[in-house]
Amino acid sequence: MHGSLQVRQVDAGSCNGCEAEFAAAFGPVYDVERFGVRLVASPRHADALVVTGPVTRNMAVPLLKTWEATPGPKLVIALGDCARDCGVFAGGHGVHGSVADVVPVDVEVPGCPPTPGAIVAALRKVAGT
Amino acid sequence: MASVALVVMACAAACACLAGGIAPAHLRALWTGSLTAVSAGAGGVAAAMVLAGGDPVVADFAALFPLGGVRVEFDALSALFTFGTSLVVVPAAVYGIGYSKAGPSSRPAQIAWPLLVWSVLMVPAAGNAIALIAFWELMALSSAAVVLSEHHHNAEARRAAQWYMAMTHLSLLAITLAMFVLAHETGGESFAAMRSGAHHVGPAAGSTVFLLALVGFGAKAGVVPMHVWLPRAHPEAPSHASALMSGAMVKLGVYGLVRVCWDLLDGGPMWWGAVVLAVGLVSAMFGILHALMASDMKRLLAYSTTENVGLIFVGVGAAGMFAASGNRVLAAVALAAALLHVINHGAFKGLLFLGAGSVSAATGTRDLDRLGGLARRMPVTAATFAIGGLALASLPPLNGFVSEWLLLQSLVHSLPSNAASIAVAMPVAVSIVALTGGLAAAAFVKAFGSAFLAMPRSVEAGAARESSGTMRAGMLALAAACVALALLPTMLARPLERAIRPVSGIADGSPISADGVYIHLSGIEAALSPLTIAIGLMVGAGGMLAVVRRSRSRATVRDVPPWGCGRTVHSARMEYTATSFAEPLQRVFDDVLHPEIDLVVDHRTESRHYVESISYRAETRDGIEARVYLPLLAAARRWGDAARRVQNGSIHRYLACSLVVTVVVMLVSR
Repeated sequence: MHGSLQVRQVDAGSCNGCEAEFAAAFGPVYDVERFGVRLVASPRHADALVVTGPVTRNMAVPLLKTWEATPGPKLVIALGDCARDCGVFAGGHGVHGSVADVVPVDVEVPGCPPTPGAIVAALRKVAGT
Repeated sequence: MASVALVVMACAAACACLAGGIAPAHLRALWTGSLTAVSAGAGGVAAAMVLAGGDPVVADFAALFPLGGVRVEFDALSALFTFGTSLVVVPAAVYGIGYSKAGPSSRPAQIAWPLLVWSVLMVPAAGNAIALIAFWELMALSSAAVVLSEHHHNAEARRAAQWYMAMTHLSLLAITLAMFVLAHETGGESFAAMRSGAHHVGPAAGSTVFLLALVGFGAKAGVVPMHVWLPRAHPEAPSHASALMSGAMVKLGVYGLVRVCWDLLDGGPMWWGAVVLAVGLVSAMFGILHALMASDMKRLLAYSTTENVGLIFVGVGAAGMFAASGNRVLAAVALAAALLHVINHGAFKGLLFLGAGSVSAATGTRDLDRLGGLARRMPVTAATFAIGGLALASLPPLNGFVSEWLLLQSLVHSLPSNAASIAVAMPVAVSIVALTGGLAAAAFVKAFGSAFLAMPRSVEAGAARESSGTMRAGMLALAAACVALALLPTMLARPLERAIRPVSGIADGSPISADGVYIHLSGIEAALSPLTIAIGLMVGAGGMLAVVRRSRSRATVRDVPPWGCGRTVHSARMEYTATSFAEPLQRVFDDVLHPEIDLVVDHRTESRHYVESISYRAETRDGIEARVYLPLLAAARRWGDAARRVQNGSIHRYLACSLVVTVVVMLVSR
C-alpha cells in the first residue's frame, strides 16, 4: 500500500462529528490526497475501511458484510473514541459494541472527534508517505 | 420418388387427424404428435429430393374440385418453403406431444393441428389458383381452430381468434381477387398457363394484381400495417402451433408474393420493388421497437416475427428493384439472402417459441416481469433459448448472422447504381437493417436476462421444473438445426440457386457459390466462412478460459456473496425488470411509441414528505391498431346499428325489400 491507499468509509452509527473532521482531512486545507490516499465508493475497490461511531445493532451485520466484501489484504481503521470503545454511547440500548467487537481492528485514531491533523497523520502512517 | 413422399405425407396427416378423433384421451397427443411428425418428415424428404436436383412433382386431380380441379406443382421454390416448414414442424410436433398432455389435448385441437401442418406444407405445392385458394383457406381455418384450443378458460384466446379470422379472411379475399384478375388477363387458371400468358397482362392489370397480392400475402406475412393479428394470436395459440405459425406459416406470405409477382407475372416496374422494400423497412423497425417494449414473452417474439418478415421483404423488394434496373445478378443475391433468412428465421423463431412455451408451461405465466432465475431450474430450456436468441440478435456464429450478412452485402453492393431510386433507397435500407440488428440484440438480452437470470420474481418461477422429455427433444433438435444452418450454410448454396431458378422475373445464373467452407457471392467481392468464424471464436474463448483458469489456480479464491451495499435482505424486488430494462429505449423512441405512463404517488396523511406507496404502469399500445383498426371497427359497428333500424322484425318490410331488390336486379340484368 506504499503511496497508494484506497479507503472506504463506513458510518456504523456515528454522531457525524468524525465524518465532518474526516471530510475536512480530504478538503483543500489538509488535502490528504497529496499523500496517496483516495476515497472510493465501494468496499470492492478498497484497501482499508475507516469505521466511525459505535456499532449500532442495525449496522453490525452491514459492517460485517462490508468487511467480507473487501478484498484482502485489508486494514480496518477505527476512527474516533466511539469506534474504539463506544465512547459516551457505551451501554446505550441500541449499541451493539465497539468496532473491534465486530471486525478485527488494525489502527485506532483517538479523539472525540479526532482533529483532521490526527486523521492525516494516521492515514500517512498507514500509507507510508 | 418425391411424389411418393408427398403421398406418405398426406396419408400420415390423414391418420393423425383420425388419431386425434378416435384415440383415447391419454394416448391422443402421442399418436397425433408422432403421426404429424412423420407427415412433416415425409414432406421434408420430398422437398429435399427436389432441392437436391430431383424433378419437380406435377400432378392433376381434375375431379377433386369444381372449376378446374386441383393441380399440384412442386418445384424447387415450393420445395424450399416446404423444407423450411418441415424443419420447424418435425421438432414442434414432437414437442407438442409433451406440451399437449398438460394443455390443449381436446379432440378438435388435436384434429386441427395435423390439418394445419399439412395445409402449410401443401400451400407452396399448389399449381393452380383453385388449389392455392383451397389450401390457403384450409390453413386459415385450421390455424384459427388451433388458436382457439384453449378457449374454455381463456377469453383472450377467443378475442385473438376473432382478430385472426378477420385478418386472414381479408388476406383470402385479396388473394382470390388477385387470382381472378390474373386468370382473366392471362386466360388460364393453372400457374403454367398464367406464366405463359403473362406477357398479355397490361401494366394496369399487373399492378392491380401486385397490390392485391401485397395486401393478401402481406396480411398473412404479418407486415405493417396488417400485423395486428400476430401479437394477439401467437401468444394465445399453443406454443408448438405458435412455432409453426410464426416460423413457417407467415413465410407463405413471402412465398405467395414472390410466386405471383416475380414468377407468374415475370416481375414488374421499379416501384413494385420499392413498395415491398418500404413495407419491409417499416415492418422491421416497427416490429423490433414493439418487441423491445413487450413484457409478454410470446408477444415479444410475435413482434420480432414482424421484424424478421420485414427483413425478408427488404430482400425481396431489393431484388425486385435490382431486377427492374437490369442488375439481375445482384437481384438474385438479394432474393437468395431473403430465402435463406426464411429458413433461418423458421429455425430460430420456432426454437424460441418452443422455449417460451416450455417456460409458460412450467410457471403458468409469460410475463417477463414475473419470471427470473430459470437458468438453474430449467437448464435445457435456458441453453436452447440462448442459442435461438443469439440467432435472433443476428450475432455470429449463429444462423441469423449468415442471412443478414448476405442481405446487407446485396444492399451495400447496389452502389454505384445508375438508377436514382436505388441510390436513394439502399443507404436508407442498410441503416435501418443495421439499426434493427442492434435493437434485436437488446430485445434478446431483455428476454433472456429477465426470464432466465438473477432471482425468480414470483413463487411460480421459483418452483419451476424442467419440462418433459419430448419437449426437451423438440427444443434440442431445433437448436441443433440452428447450429447446423449456422456452420454449414454452404450446403444450402446449390438448393437456393435451384429455388431461385423458377423465379423468372429475377433469376440469373447462380447467385451464391460455395467451395465447402466459404460462401462466395456472384458479382460481389465478398466471401464468408461461418465455420472459420465459429472455430476462431471457439479458439479465442477457449484460450481466454485457459488463461482465467491458470490465473485462478495461482491465487487463493474466496467465494463471497454479491455486494449489495451492506443490505441484509436480497429480494427479487431489487432486480432490474424487463420493463425497467426497456425504459431507456422507451424514452429514446418516445415520439414513435407514445407510451401511456401512469405514475401515482400516495403520501401519508400525516406528512407529504413520507410516501405511502408508488405505483407505476407503462403501456405501449400499438399505434396502428389504435389509429387505424379501432376507428374502422367503430365505423363498422355504427353501420351495423344503422342497419338494425331496417331490420326491425317487420315481415312486411322484409317482403317489400325483397320485392325492390328483385325489381332492381331484373332491371339491371335485363
